[in-house]
Order: sequence, then C-alpha cells, then structure tokens
Amino acid sequence: MSNKKRGTKAATKQQRTLAEQADRHVYYERAVQDPKNDAKTLAKLFRRYRKVEPLVLREDFCGTATLATHWTKARADRSAIGVDLDRDTLAWGQVNNVEAAGGDVAARVNLIHGNVLDAGGPKADVTCALNFSYCCLKQRSSMLAYLKATRANLKKGGVFIADVLGGPDSMAAAEDTHDHGDFVYRWEQAFFDPLTHEMECHIHFDFPDGSSLAPAFSYEWRLWSMPELCDLLAEAGFSAVHRLWEKTDDAGEGTGVFFEPHRVENWDQWWTYVVAER
Amino acid sequence: MAKSKSKAGAGKAPRKSGKGKAPTMAQQADRHRLYQLSVQMPDVEIEFFERVFKDLRGSKPKSLREDFCGTGYLSTAWVKSHRERTAVGVDIDPDPLAWGKQHNMEGLSAQARSRLTLHEADVLDGVGEPTQIACAMNFSFCVFKQREVLQRYFRTAHGKLTEDGLFILEIYGGTEAIIELEERRKCEGFTYVWEQELYNPIDHHTLCHIHFAFPDRSKLERAFTYDWRLWSIPELRELLLGAGFQSVTVYWETTDEDGEGTGEFEPTVKEENQESWLVYVVAAK
Repeated sequence: MSNKKRGTKAATKQQRTLAEQADRHVYYERAVQDPKNDAKTLAKLFRRYRKVEPLVLREDFCGTATLATHWTKARADRSAIGVDLDRDTLAWGQVNNVEAAGGDVAARVNLIHGNVLDAGGPKADVTCALNFSYCCLKQRSSMLAYLKATRANLKKGGVFIADVLGGPDSMAAAEDTHDHGDFVYRWEQAFFDPLTHEMECHIHFDFPDGSSLAPAFSYEWRLWSMPELCDLLAEAGFSAVHRLWEKTDDAGEGTGVFFEPHRVENWDQWWTYVVAER
Repeated sequence: MAKSKSKAGAGKAPRKSGKGKAPTMAQQADRHRLYQLSVQMPDVEIEFFERVFKDLRGSKPKSLREDFCGTGYLSTAWVKSHRERTAVGVDIDPDPLAWGKQHNMEGLSAQARSRLTLHEADVLDGVGEPTQIACAMNFSFCVFKQREVLQRYFRTAHGKLTEDGLFILEIYGGTEAIIELEERRKCEGFTYVWEQELYNPIDHHTLCHIHFAFPDRSKLERAFTYDWRLWSIPELRELLLGAGFQSVTVYWETTDEDGEGTGEFEPTVKEENQESWLVYVVAAK
C-alpha cells in the first residue's frame, strides 16, 4: 500500500501543470513588452526635440531590464541604468537579460536596487517610466517628488518619457485577452474607483492544459490623467511638456506614428506618450 | 431655431404671404425660466445643505453664499425658507442677474428681500460677507481650466466662510461623461437636451450645450453653452485640501434594489465607476 502511494505521488510530480512550470517573467516579456521597438521609439522621441543622438537611458521601474538591455545592445556607445525596488525581478533580469546579452553589453548596463524617488546615479539623456508603472505612486505629493527626482537625474537637455493610459474603457471593470498560441494573456481591470482614480489590475496567463497563473502579476494603481501629469511636470520644473497622440490610418487603426495635437476625440481606450524636456 | 423656421416656411410660404406668422414656441420661450424648470431644484438642494450641515456641524445653517448664482434662484429659495436666513449671490454675468431680480426676487417680501444680496462680480474677488455655507452648483467652477486658478478660487471660498463653514461643490463624471453624447429628458411642456459636443482627453476640456425642444418642433438651440475643464474628484480633493480645508467628503447617490437612483446622497469613501454619476463634494473649514 505504502509503496503504491509513493508511486502515485511520484507520477503526479512528473505531471506538473504548465502553470507550475512557467516562469512568469518570461511570459510577461512575451505578452507585454516590445523592448527593441520601445528603444527605437524612445530615441526617435528624443531626437524630435534634441537634434543629437541619446546615449544614456535610465529605465525607472525597470523590472527585468529588458528595455535597458536592448537600448544598450543597439549601439556600442550607449549605456543604461535600470532602477527597481524588487530585488528578485532585478536579479532575474541581471542573469536572463543583461548577462545573457554578453560581456560588452553587460558592462554598460547598471542595475540599481533602489527607489525611483531617490535621486542619484549617473545622469541620463532619456529617463523613461513605461507600462504605467509610475501609477503605483498614488499620492500627488509622491508623484511630484518622483518627477522632481527624475528631472534632477537628467542631463541638461535630457527628456523624460512616460506612457499614459486612458479612455472610458480604462476607467471601468473590464477584461481583455490575447491568444499567443502556447498561452493566453489576460488583462483584468478588477476595479476602478472614481473617488480616487485608484484601480486594481491583474495579469493572468492561461495555458493549454487548463492551468493558469492567475494572477501572475497584480497592480494597485492610481490612473493619472494626461492633464494631471502635465500639471505635475510643469510644477516639477520641466521647461516644456508635449502631449503626443497616435496617428490612425483610414480604417482607424494606429500607425505607430505619434503627433502633437491640441485636440483629439476620446477613444474607448488609448495609450500614448507624454514627453517632458528638462 | 433657424432650422425649424426654414422647415415651417418651406411648407407654408405660398399661401401665407403677407399674413403674420405666429411666433414659434422657441421664439416665445424664456431660456432662464426653462433652465430653472429643467435643471434646478432649490428646495431639494436646501434640504441637502441642511442635512449635511447637521451631520458635520450639528446645527442649522443660516447664511448661504451661492457662487455662479445666475438668476439667484437658490439664494431666493434660501431666504424664503426661514425668516432668519441670509444669502449672497455672486455672478459675473449681468443678464441672468437682472432676470433673477425681476422674476425671482419679485415674489419676495420686503423683509426677505433685505436678507438677499446679489453681486455682479467675479467669484475670485471674494465680495460679500462671510457665510456658513458656500456652494458652486451645476459644475459651474469648471470654467476655471487652470489648476492654479481653481486653487485660487478654492482659497477665496475658504476665506469667505465662517469658522464652522462648509463649501459644497457639485460635479459629474463616469465613462459617459467623457465622450460625445446627447441626452434628452421630457419636462412639462418642453424637452431638455444635454449635448456633450466635445471632450478632449489630453486636457479634459469639454464643450457642452443645453438645447430646448418644443411640441411645435421649434427649438431653442444652444440656449446655454459651457466651455469647461471637467475636473475629477481626486483633483478637487487635492485642491480643496491645498486651499486649507480640513476634510473633504464625497456624497454619492444611493440606489434602490433595481439599481435606480433614489435622490438621496450618502457619504462614501469607495465606489465602483458608473456610466454616469453626479456627486456633491463637501469641504469643511
């Protein structure tokens, strides 16, 4: 009897679900990130306002630092600083992204385990806060402190770039799925509070064997609006703030080209960039 | 209005030549009267003010300041509601003020009239005596589009309150407040039309109109037009605290079992977003 039991256990152990075997960072990078393109976009946006090539990137809330790595890989004269509070995620990124890119690249990527609110470290041409990560700062005073620190960490002529999420569908409970073939990415907006603009979101990964990493990541955010960010950036001392918007084709699809309009129609859901010059 | 007139004219012109055309209902309408009938409920607002003041201060308020008062409809009802009550109405536009003096104040006794003062002035200037309640109803403060200007207005409002004073604001929102939209509501003898012509997500500016439509198919188009920044509740809270108020409470409309609004408002700290909501934001000095 006891032998048989052990045998069953061993068999079960061999049949671990796909979710149990999954590395959530791998799936996050596949589902959410496009670091090669993001690096190109950041450089393009910088060149729009400064007619020189940006060399130093600071990736705030960098997580696994895949963007910092791709930024550095793209040119031999580039370097990057990545800052994040989560030591485990940084360690994962150091091994799987930074060091995996080779010694030459790794030598030019400096990951800092620390708080983005603390100024310090090498100064950057471009500082970015992408994937709405700055939304973890819920108090206006914290957000202002962050933007002041960011400005202080920019070189003269440097720019800060953040992405902004909005539209009525981003302010309600909703779920969005995207099938990647070997897994399904599920974005869940569990709750949005109009009194505070605080929202709870989750990322889930569902696998073909019916198993799930649910949630793989959870976020408690304050959804900052474009005018709030513009007010804050001006208050933090940035000399010019640019509100970008994606151009659409005749079918209404995004083209990946951004312009700077005075007025646009609200879409159900959108994300765009705000660019602030030091 | 032009559209309706030309329609009627096209059908009747051949026979009618020379004969006096009867004016349409829109031509005879008084936009201030229609506004009061369709948008304002001063008795309900006064009841709410009394209840909030009792909740937060434990007493009955006597003095009211109505900023952006328009025709002073609420101020008039306030002085009428109790023989000791005083009101200060402030508006920058002489037209509704003159209309209010003629139509709203006319029915007041001399004694009640002596307790009401209307000022043609900018609310940023802080004219008039301090009051226990100050209010900015119907989202009127949204004319201030710059953060520092709204901050200055809230500081002024704070300065013009008595020590136990409350400042009450009304604001709307929800997922349908930030899109282009037209809503119609039947009133007695006419239809009220609310149009959100524009909403700009990159600066939150919105252009809205009130139209009135009549049974004879005539219309009073753009009887009122509003060029606003639609402020969010968290922005208002931050600005009110920044202006020196001690606390900010949001009053949310309660719903019945079917999810319909009851017209009753209760303090709340957490809500799920809706398509459309209207709240009172109460700031205590």
